[in-house]
Amino acid sequence: MIPPRSLAGTLIPAMAFLSCLRPESWEPCVEVEPNVTYQCMELNLSKIPNSIPSSAKNLDLSFNPLKCIDSHSFSSFPELEVLDLSRCEIQTIEDDAYEGLHNLSTLILTGNPIQSLGTGAFHGLSSLRTLVAVETKLASLGNFPIEHLTSLEKLNVAHNLIHSFKLPEYFSNLPNLKHLDLSSNEIQNIFNMDLEALHKMPLLNLSLDLSLNPIDFIQPGAFKEIRLHELTLRSNFHNKSAMKTCIQGLAGLEVHRLVLGEFKNERNVEMVDKSVLEELCNLTIEEFQLAYIDNLARDVTDLLSCLANVSAMSLVSLNLNRVEEISTGFNWQSLELVKCQFKQFPKIVLPSLKRFTCIANKDLDSFGELKAPRLEHLDLSGNDLSFKSCCSHYHFGTTSLKYLDLSFNGAITMTANFMGLEQLEYLDFQYSTLNRINEFSVFLSLSKLHYLDISYTKIQVAFHGIFNGLVSLQILKMAGNSFEDNLLPDIFTNMRNLTYLDLSKCQLEQVSEKAFDALPELKFLNMSHNNLFLLDELAYKPLYSLEILDCSFNSIKSSRGQELQHFPSNLTINLTQNVLACTCEHQHFLQWIKDQRRSLVEVEKLVCATPSDLQGLPALSFRNDTCQIKKTIIGVSVLSALVVSVIVFLVYKFYFHLMLFAGCKKYGRGESTYDAFVIYSSQDEDWVRNELVKNLEEGVPPFQLCLHYRDFIPGVAIAANIIQEGFHKSRKVIVVVSQHFIQSRWCIFEYEIAQTWQFLSSHAGIIFIVLQKVEKSLLRKQVELYRLLSRNTYLEWEDSILGRHIFWRRLRKALMDGKLWSPEATADAGNNQQEATTCI
Amino acid sequence: MNGLAAALLVWTLISPSGGGHGGRGDMWPTHVACRNEGLEVFYQSCDPLQDFGFSVDQCSRKLQPHLSIRFGIILREDIRELFLDVLLLSKGASVLNFSYPICEDDLPKFSFCGRRKGEQVYYAGPVDNSSFDVPEGEYQVLLKLYNENHSTVACANVTVIAS
Repeated sequence: MIPPRSLAGTLIPAMAFLSCLRPESWEPCVEVEPNVTYQCMELNLSKIPNSIPSSAKNLDLSFNPLKCIDSHSFSSFPELEVLDLSRCEIQTIEDDAYEGLHNLSTLILTGNPIQSLGTGAFHGLSSLRTLVAVETKLASLGNFPIEHLTSLEKLNVAHNLIHSFKLPEYFSNLPNLKHLDLSSNEIQNIFNMDLEALHKMPLLNLSLDLSLNPIDFIQPGAFKEIRLHELTLRSNFHNKSAMKTCIQGLAGLEVHRLVLGEFKNERNVEMVDKSVLEELCNLTIEEFQLAYIDNLARDVTDLLSCLANVSAMSLVSLNLNRVEEISTGFNWQSLELVKCQFKQFPKIVLPSLKRFTCIANKDLDSFGELKAPRLEHLDLSGNDLSFKSCCSHYHFGTTSLKYLDLSFNGAITMTANFMGLEQLEYLDFQYSTLNRINEFSVFLSLSKLHYLDISYTKIQVAFHGIFNGLVSLQILKMAGNSFEDNLLPDIFTNMRNLTYLDLSKCQLEQVSEKAFDALPELKFLNMSHNNLFLLDELAYKPLYSLEILDCSFNSIKSSRGQELQHFPSNLTINLTQNVLACTCEHQHFLQWIKDQRRSLVEVEKLVCATPSDLQGLPALSFRNDTCQIKKTIIGVSVLSALVVSVIVFLVYKFYFHLMLFAGCKKYGRGESTYDAFVIYSSQDEDWVRNELVKNLEEGVPPFQLCLHYRDFIPGVAIAANIIQEGFHKSRKVIVVVSQHFIQSRWCIFEYEIAQTWQFLSSHAGIIFIVLQKVEKSLLRKQVELYRLLSRNTYLEWEDSILGRHIFWRRLRKALMDGKLWSPEATADAGNNQQEATTCI
Repeated sequence: MNGLAAALLVWTLISPSGGGHGGRGDMWPTHVACRNEGLEVFYQSCDPLQDFGFSVDQCSRKLQPHLSIRFGIILREDIRELFLDVLLLSKGASVLNFSYPICEDDLPKFSFCGRRKGEQVYYAGPVDNSSFDVPEGEYQVLLKLYNENHSTVACANVTVIAS
């Protein structure tokens, strides 16, 4: 028995141990790329999670309170290539902390308040190319133990506390160093000795950023015979004289690119004038940039006289609004004027110029004089330029132009078809307004053009020859324009090299069947954000090389026809954001979506828009069997309706047969020998013989009639025959009323007996057949008959097919009324004697 | 001294360990950017990852050009390129919507351009605004800063009450 106290004594530390074990290491990182990339940012980890597989190459542990990196911390991740330890509150990095990371190329230590850094902290990082130690409270490069990182290419120690620019001896061990970022440090002075390491081991490709250091003094000769790729000095000087002194100190430097200037929010130098920049005469500079200087002396041509021979001049965000002319004496091949607040275009006369960029001058509304016969690259985008006539070599003073960018400007009126500019390969007009482009084939002479952007240029394409001449064009962007009748016509003729075509946001509703007939090389077609209501596969049929078809954001309900086989197998189609109709009518289209799910972009996001009960549901969930059920239902109901109508027809047709044979029962006449005794005038005998007898005795069911000429027994008095054979043996009496009937005494006699008979036997048995209309005056003679006929329903003979049919049915029905059902009745029917009477 | 105090305020606000770290998932508190007679500006961070500090120096219904602002943040993303989206809503309807580049890769305009993830940024300086009178009413401004990968750098729901 364990005493409770000792039990508690064991359990509590165990639980405490377990609770210590539980936290961070179990915290799941995000697996961005399985076994390769893991994102563990800001998970409150205090140690490196051991759940990460050892094959990981990219590991982001930023924003976790790791505090300390012990030696061999990462030995379980030998494959690591990128390790991000930004803001991990790391104060101590022990020796051999990264030992074993032979493949690590990038180590990021940004934002760690490192206090203790072992001399062997970076041991083992034999492949490290980029080391970021920004904002790490680093006080000096000399103490930074990176001397063995021989493969280092990029060292970023910006935003630290470094006072001295002294490049330590070990820089001669870093032959691959290309970027050294020392910006935002506390370097005030640069002395001769500081760059000694570069004398020993020249780093010709080194780009050095010293921006935002409060440099007061550069000892003259410090940079003498030093060669750098790039030197950036922005917002370094607190006034003009410091700037002048320091530039003086740069004398002897040979630099490919020098960037001088300030930042918009860190402007200190009150004025930059010629005296400052003339110090640059002692430097060898290939490319020069002056940026964000608030106040520049008036005459820029004078100001830049020391820089007349640089190949590339870049002036960024300077106030040059008073500069009227840039010409004489400059041998620049490239000139860049960005945000220079020009109010009017400066006259540019530079025979050496090949590349001219003048962009983002919002007040610049008209183009000026440009004389640069060797100009190949002209970028005038983002100004407010309007051209009343455009474009030919007269406007740009060159016939060598290959690249022309007039995008984001004002209205450009096309008056010439690029005469003298036949060398153009790249042309961009986007977001400018193009006028009169429908009047002639503007691009006719641009047979070398391979890139054309006329997006959002407010064109309404009406002229079908608009793109004539563009035989080499590969990329055409014309989004945000419109077409006559919202129909895409046949305008892409002779553009056999076109691979990319953007027609998005063009309000298109239909595509002409021949629109893409001549585009065999087209690989990418963007038809998104239009109003297409059909996926017209026939129009896309000639696009054999098509790889991507974007029809998203349209009003597509379904395809035009049932055949969707024409699309190439490697085509990817985007149909998202359409109004798919998930009805059985479009079943084939929906089935095609299912079949092509691998070729459709975000196929699971394709939703039905109609019908309302399927709205918002994935199109993939549409089930074909619902249509089959419907089809079956329709089929079955049609069939059953047919069957029912056939049955009804048959029942109607064979009503009397059925009555006869239903249930194998036969009906008989009971006591009577005859079904009916026929009273008629001998004048009507033809009708009785040919119609009545024939139809009733030979039809179905067969009735036995009592006819006087046939059934009366000879030798017996007529009256006796009438009574004995006629009335006595018959169930019913048929009275054939006609003119002759009324006039015949016998007939009236028979009729009167029949009436009496009916009265005596007390069952209704007289059926009147009116063979022909009887004059009322005649009929009135027979008051009783007249009364009966006007009260009772009688049959009227009508000599038409329908009339006869109805007549016989009614008569048969009337005769069958009151018949007794007896199985053996018919058997003896034939044996019965038959009687009739005659009315003479 | 004033700037130092502001920096200190900003620092306490944005320090990830300080001020209770339970903010994730919950709403960030609403801060006052400026308050004066006639104009009050509040903001709340809409970035689930972090809050940030922001203040406007002059606070008047008659907006002065080149307003001086202070802004402090610890970057969760590199800002080699930085863009600002502004959406102004009045009574729920969009009034103004524009996008503005703050940092461009080849032409860094401000000293903080190009700063790295994990680095602290504190900006105190003017912004490019023109002067205009704020009409009476309540406005919502949605500000979003994002980098070249469209990752959010900072996001704020600002409420402006002009009375």
